[in-house]
Amino acid sequence: MSLYPQSQGYAQVGYAHAGPAYPPHQPPPQPSYYGVTQAMFYADPTHFRRDYTARLGQLTFNSRPHIQSLSMIAQDYTRYADIVVQCVEQHIRRAPPHTKLPAFYLLDAMSKNVFDPYARLFAPVVVRLFLDTYEVVDQATRHKMEEMLGTWRTGAPTGRQLFGVVAQQAIEREIWGGQSTQSVVRRLPVLSHRRPRSTRGKQNTSRPGQAPISTAQVLSELEFVLSSKERTLQVNPYDKQAATHVQILQQLRKVVQAGVPQDDLGQILTQLRTISPAAPTVAQAPPVVPISQPYPSSSSAAPYHYPTPVTLPSIPSASYPISPSYPPSNPVLPKAEPAEISSLTSVASAPVASTSTLPSVLPINVSSLFNKIMQTGVLSSSASSTPPGSRSATQREDSAAPSDTVELAKEYTNTVLTSAPKLTSVDILKHKPAVAQLLYSRLPGQCKQCGLRFPVDASGKKRLEEHLDMHFAQNRKASQANGRGYNRSWFVSIDDWLNDGIADPKGKRRAVGFKATVKGGAADEAAQRDAELRAMRVVVPPGDETKSFSCPICKEILKPEFNEDDEEWVWRNAVLKDERIYHATCHAEAMLSKTSLATRLKEETGRSRSQTPELLRSPARANLSLPGEPMKGGSPSPSKLVGSKRKVDAEGSVSSRDSPTPPMKKVALSAA
Amino acid sequence: MSERLAVPREWVLNAESEYRFELDPGTSVAIKLVRGQAEIFGAELVEGKTYFFYEECKAAIFTWQGCTIEITGQPSTEYISDETAMNAYGNIHLALEAMRIRALDRTKSNQPQGYGSDSQSSEPPRVLILGPENSGKTSLAKILLNYATRAAQDWCPMLVNVDPGEGASMLPGTISAAAIPAPLQTSTPAHRLGRAATTAPTHMTSNSLLPLAYWYGHAEVKRNPLLLDRLIRNLGENVWDRHEDDTQGRVSGVIIDTPSSFAANTGGNADHRQALIKACVDAFRINVILVVGHEKLNAEMQRTYAKHITVVKVPKSGGVVELDAPYRSRIHKYQMHSYFYGERFTLPPGMPSLTSAPAAAGYLVGGEQIMDFTLAPSSFVVPFGDLTMWRIGEETMAPSSALPIGATRVVSEMQPIQVDPSQAGSGLYNAVLALLASPNPDESERYDEEILDLHVVGFIVITNLDIPNKKMTVLAPTQTSLVGKTAIVGTFEWEE
Repeated sequence: MSLYPQSQGYAQVGYAHAGPAYPPHQPPPQPSYYGVTQAMFYADPTHFRRDYTARLGQLTFNSRPHIQSLSMIAQDYTRYADIVVQCVEQHIRRAPPHTKLPAFYLLDAMSKNVFDPYARLFAPVVVRLFLDTYEVVDQATRHKMEEMLGTWRTGAPTGRQLFGVVAQQAIEREIWGGQSTQSVVRRLPVLSHRRPRSTRGKQNTSRPGQAPISTAQVLSELEFVLSSKERTLQVNPYDKQAATHVQILQQLRKVVQAGVPQDDLGQILTQLRTISPAAPTVAQAPPVVPISQPYPSSSSAAPYHYPTPVTLPSIPSASYPISPSYPPSNPVLPKAEPAEISSLTSVASAPVASTSTLPSVLPINVSSLFNKIMQTGVLSSSASSTPPGSRSATQREDSAAPSDTVELAKEYTNTVLTSAPKLTSVDILKHKPAVAQLLYSRLPGQCKQCGLRFPVDASGKKRLEEHLDMHFAQNRKASQANGRGYNRSWFVSIDDWLNDGIADPKGKRRAVGFKATVKGGAADEAAQRDAELRAMRVVVPPGDETKSFSCPICKEILKPEFNEDDEEWVWRNAVLKDERIYHATCHAEAMLSKTSLATRLKEETGRSRSQTPELLRSPARANLSLPGEPMKGGSPSPSKLVGSKRKVDAEGSVSSRDSPTPPMKKVALSAA
Repeated sequence: MSERLAVPREWVLNAESEYRFELDPGTSVAIKLVRGQAEIFGAELVEGKTYFFYEECKAAIFTWQGCTIEITGQPSTEYISDETAMNAYGNIHLALEAMRIRALDRTKSNQPQGYGSDSQSSEPPRVLILGPENSGKTSLAKILLNYATRAAQDWCPMLVNVDPGEGASMLPGTISAAAIPAPLQTSTPAHRLGRAATTAPTHMTSNSLLPLAYWYGHAEVKRNPLLLDRLIRNLGENVWDRHEDDTQGRVSGVIIDTPSSFAANTGGNADHRQALIKACVDAFRINVILVVGHEKLNAEMQRTYAKHITVVKVPKSGGVVELDAPYRSRIHKYQMHSYFYGERFTLPPGMPSLTSAPAAAGYLVGGEQIMDFTLAPSSFVVPFGDLTMWRIGEETMAPSSALPIGATRVVSEMQPIQVDPSQAGSGLYNAVLALLASPNPDESERYDEEILDLHVVGFIVITNLDIPNKKMTVLAPTQTSLVGKTAIVGTFEWEE
């Protein structure tokens, strides 16, 4: 599939999260464009603006290398972020309709890959820009834009709306919702965010004045969920549940395309959002409530109707770029060919009562189809069971069956203890060992990257997920570190080595599942981690010793100290992230949870920049972009810095999964 | 000829058979698992991925259930054998696994952890592998470690290499210990037992091991057995210390790969051989001894240790290859190059190059995706005075038994002697030195032979000596200051 080699790893980062399908108009990018990027040097903003505009002008067709190189420049010159944003906006507005889409892909790429500051800077303009563009482009392009819009829901690194919930809803409302009628819920999206989801019964009661749900909207959301399920399946082809999901969703798509009544559309939409892998989407109150006037059950009545030939073939799973952590898909990938509707019942299997009510041709009673789907447990009945934040239906099921894990562990223990031969020269030759069973068939969940296997129970799935996250992090690091030289590390000191098994600071040793079981180990680990964080420091860029920088999280001023050993001014307990200086401890705490302060902070900055201490940060951005690498200990060599930076990354990403401590507790911890 | 080589050939392997191959210098081979399940020294291959082998790699793809593999490139030798020792090895793994489970069980039930012989049954496996040359000791160690890491039980067994000629994840001349969290990959004999960490991100944790090593400095055990004895005991003590706080690590056990000279039965050096085995048994509290393909040694071990230790005779795999001295010296070169400069290999003729091949081709080298394998070492000039260099014992040391009757050594085996680079014949040119950890900061705690007990932090090579200006050029893995550092020279040399 469209997995590009490591050396061109940049683009893999952002397109990991269900990026819109960039049709491969172009052959894979040549590595040479890095050279181009690196060779450029912009002496002043004017020059930069001129050059960037010129480059944008060349983006007249959907060219991945072009988008990548433009995005690379944007990443390298975040100090000119404002200019980049202006240029892109102007370009999109001025460009003829058929060349607007590539520019939007660029906007999308920059916002996802670089995220900060681009997502923040684009947020205020993106709504108007999107809608204006949407008005003038043709149907096919509109569909592409809708796909892209779908990915924005979870486009932020935190899994939230890329441009914030306000922008996202504003766009969705305009293109999918009714344009004249706006419910209270929609007008106050923040409120709606916390509002408990309406019950299913309530959705069924019609309410006048609500906008109709268009088939297009449902289809678009359906595609989004379907593609994410397909990816799940690619990662883990043994996930039978995901396979069933995919098949049923494909059936559903066919049905919806053929046209269904409004009531059912509403239901489908709600259900889709429930199983959608994006937590925040689930948490939102469904903005759609079916209306009293049911649309005639023909799809032609929908405001934006796409001729089926356009929508259907544009979703073959192969056109979705896969995140780098996932191995290139193997032939196990399910074919996206829609099967016969009647086959749905066989998939949906046993518990379905009246299979015969499903005719193989339209019209179809979607409600009954839906009931069946729900009976098979694919889509759970809406508001009741799904805890907000559950990432997928699969996971929900996992948590429901912890005894499963115990059983499997017991079974393994028993098998080994009973089948293990006595350790004597004769006995080891007697029987054929059950190794094949224990090492292969017992562990069906295989990582397609390195071949490690995991059991299929809940904990096994979780571990596989963590394992894949680890690969993903490695890939990201590999692509970020591209161009920097590597070197053999010095071997660890004896103290580090002795403690490596207990609390591995790199989080690399994934043999850590046992750590939690060691009594008191967790506290020690926390203490050690804290000490490590406090030992981190960032060298103050020359000339900035007297300026004051505050930690964006706790707002305390960081005081530079003179480090005698290295003869440099440093900030202690500091870490450089996204060109801002954070307290290392604050940052680590913030990374621990998705609902963390940092996330909220980012959102705040996205919404209203005036509230954040921009003044304090802006000089830092200009000065720190080049020399400031985070520094650990007194490590003397610049190349070690590279390693230590990675270490922080690894820790952040791993710990965020390891301990779902509520944020409040963490704040207290960091204050202690 | 070369066009024909580019065509991939398929081999179909029956259940419990293996495809063995050997490579000539400068060639490489790509192997892809097309169907079925297969493993290489216990590490599973991923279906559809292309694995590369190079630098005279000699290995075998084994399958429990049968598989089809696709080979591109021309090995110098290749054949399929269904006579393997894998059943025995699998059984040993099961037995060790049962020991781990019992040990973990005991730990969990909070019983006091005693190390006497009475609690033998719930001790984790601490395995010493002995065997003559070319008996497959290292391969057995690798298989047992890999099976343990694949059990999905979070085992993290400790690999200890006390064969100074092998190098494990480091360089020859060292003895080392490293916890193995993931299956050890096979691609080149330069890293038969995993790779030490670089600053590059890796997918397999076994490709960025953090070993603890001591510098013996010679390939041959007989050169200074007393020193080796001491280093083994140092290593054992540290492994023990580490496992005291690391339950899972302790329970996962220790597997020790030994030099063939431990098993050699040529009369002259029997003394040190016995002493070194004893050192290992004591230092690592061995409770299982596996003797690979050596009846006499097995009998000897039974006699000596059977009271407290399970001694098992293990069949030798039919696939072992005779390795000669020139081969070993070439491997040493590969290891040195790999330590400083990273991996270097050419693709089998006719394959799309690493940079142009689509990622879908699934190229893997040692389990890693194709990325920048090249490491950038640092070469710099330092004054002689910056670095204190030592040699342990005399430079050319005859065995004690070869001394004239009644004569004693002027310099003992354990005595550190400072090497003066400004003197001609210092033997430093092109010498491989082990850079040591800093000594105890507390002066009062120091002692004469402290440098014998300092572990290795890295290796350097002196690539030029400028005696008139009292400067030397040093190749180090990365830019660093050598001021005040200590290094020990051995008998290894390397020239790029």
